[in-house]
Amino acid sequence: MIRHLFKLIWNKKRAHSLLLVEIWASFLVLFGLTSLIVFNVRNYREPLGFEYQNAWAISLNNNQDTVEVAEKIERVLQHLKAYPEVEAASRMSTNFPFSQSRMNNGVEYNKKNVIADFFATDENFAKTMAIPVVEGRWYRSADSVGKYTPVVINKKLKEGLFGDEKPVGKIIGERFKVIGVVNTFKSKGEFMADKPALFELLDASTKWNDLLMIRVKPGTDAVFEAKIVKAITTQLTGWSVEVDHLTDSRKTTHNLTLVPVIIFLIVSGFLLVNVALGLFGVLNLSIAKRRGEIGLRRALGATGNGISEQFISEIWVLATFALLIGLLFAMQFPLMNVFDIQAGIYLTAIAISVAVIYLIVTICALFPSRLAARIQPAVALHEE
Amino acid sequence: MINLTNIEKVYRTSSIETLALNNINLNIHKGEFVSIMGPSGCGKSTLLNIMGLLDEPSKGTVELDGQRVASYRDKELAHLRNQKIGFIFQSFHLINDLSVVDNVEIPLLYRSTNGKPRQAYAKEALEKVGLSNRTKHFPKQLSGGQKQRVAIARAIVGKPEIILADEPTGNLDSAMGNEIMNILQSLNNEGATIVMVTHDESMAKRTHRLIRLFDGTQVQ
Repeated sequence: MIRHLFKLIWNKKRAHSLLLVEIWASFLVLFGLTSLIVFNVRNYREPLGFEYQNAWAISLNNNQDTVEVAEKIERVLQHLKAYPEVEAASRMSTNFPFSQSRMNNGVEYNKKNVIADFFATDENFAKTMAIPVVEGRWYRSADSVGKYTPVVINKKLKEGLFGDEKPVGKIIGERFKVIGVVNTFKSKGEFMADKPALFELLDASTKWNDLLMIRVKPGTDAVFEAKIVKAITTQLTGWSVEVDHLTDSRKTTHNLTLVPVIIFLIVSGFLLVNVALGLFGVLNLSIAKRRGEIGLRRALGATGNGISEQFISEIWVLATFALLIGLLFAMQFPLMNVFDIQAGIYLTAIAISVAVIYLIVTICALFPSRLAARIQPAVALHEE
Repeated sequence: MINLTNIEKVYRTSSIETLALNNINLNIHKGEFVSIMGPSGCGKSTLLNIMGLLDEPSKGTVELDGQRVASYRDKELAHLRNQKIGFIFQSFHLINDLSVVDNVEIPLLYRSTNGKPRQAYAKEALEKVGLSNRTKHFPKQLSGGQKQRVAIARAIVGKPEIILADEPTGNLDSAMGNEIMNILQSLNNEGATIVMVTHDESMAKRTHRLIRLFDGTQVQ
């Protein structure tokens, strides 16, 4: 019967061409959407690599003050550590977690070059952000003796540069010595892919790294925030201070990821509803035009359910033709490693899209096919 | 072979009740070639549909090979139609998107006959009606007489015991009509029981028995 239906659809390919294009286009849009969703969901399921709750980022801006900038920043850091509400404090570059700022560079080892996000932090950063170290240890200020800057890398960078080799103690990029390895560090939030990252010990004597990260005790409120801002501005006359709570920054970062997905979802939803309505209409019309054929098939031995199954099978065959063409396009993405995204994400998206298309066409075909099943053969044959 | 007892068929709409058949009693014997005649709207096609299990009578009993079919479910009726009855229609009822051989194969699809034997049986049936050279053609490429021969091939491909023909020569000129009648007669000679609705007296005379209907009542 399947072969018979394939023949029937193939011989009517001209009449079905628009429907084929519609299903094909829906599949491609759905594939794009599901790729985006699968990509984000996979990222979300990977650990963030640090704790953002009760972490505050304090940005200091020296404005016109150019005298002893680094020393002043260090003094503020020591002052903050003295507050009983502050559990840990650290100084770092401006690309703090969930910020819009990013710094990256190539790192080389044994002729392998990997682009990694760079973070300049002091020795207290791991404690402040509660980052677990899985190999070696976090660097200390004392590690900076000699010509190499101590660095901690994440697993992703380790895999890219060393493979199965032990990285601790190795020199990378001619000036860095690996002290430790952390698991993941998704600085732009849960929806970000875990990218290669490198933490280097910052030079406390430079004026550039003017961001202070503090972890406060749970329950610490805005009153304390106002208190430290006042204390800093008193200490650093003419400087401006801005405090970001990482929980709020995280929400903003999430919105930047989720809003395009939601817009894409709404547009795709409208498209799929349109396709579904179109299919529904075409099937209804097809049944009205094929009443004679339905009557004939009943006369030749088809049951009512058989007719219903035939119409559903026909739409499946039609969807299969459209999906086969769609798959030719979609399969290029994993094969050509488009956007440097894992093939598994594309393959999962393809599987989901195929299932959704079959589900939509089945739902659209159910009602018209049941109508077809109820057509009285004698009446249908007489009408022809 | 087919026994109809006290058959009555009433079509009801919200305001009108139409008596299409009234107290029809009919016995069609195995191997008979029976024609049904009567003016338009007298119930000929309704009677044929009831014999072909495509329609149910409002009253009365239908027996096929001694079995009462009133209690049969859709699946059992479909099986009986597929196994025992072949249909030929005035307007051929060929599926234009299928080739001649694919059209002829349709009854065998509902018997789950495999592809190769199905095609062999279809070609055999087409050979019988003299259309073995047109298997790959589509209905639109055929003349009216050829279309009706395809319809006959489709009716006989499953080797049914009964052939029900509803004005099989109605859309054909007399030469083509004679040709179709010859085929039906040869099928009858081979043992098929045939019931044919016709308006053509000359065609009816070539059958064993003539039944006349008038306003839903059997008058001969």
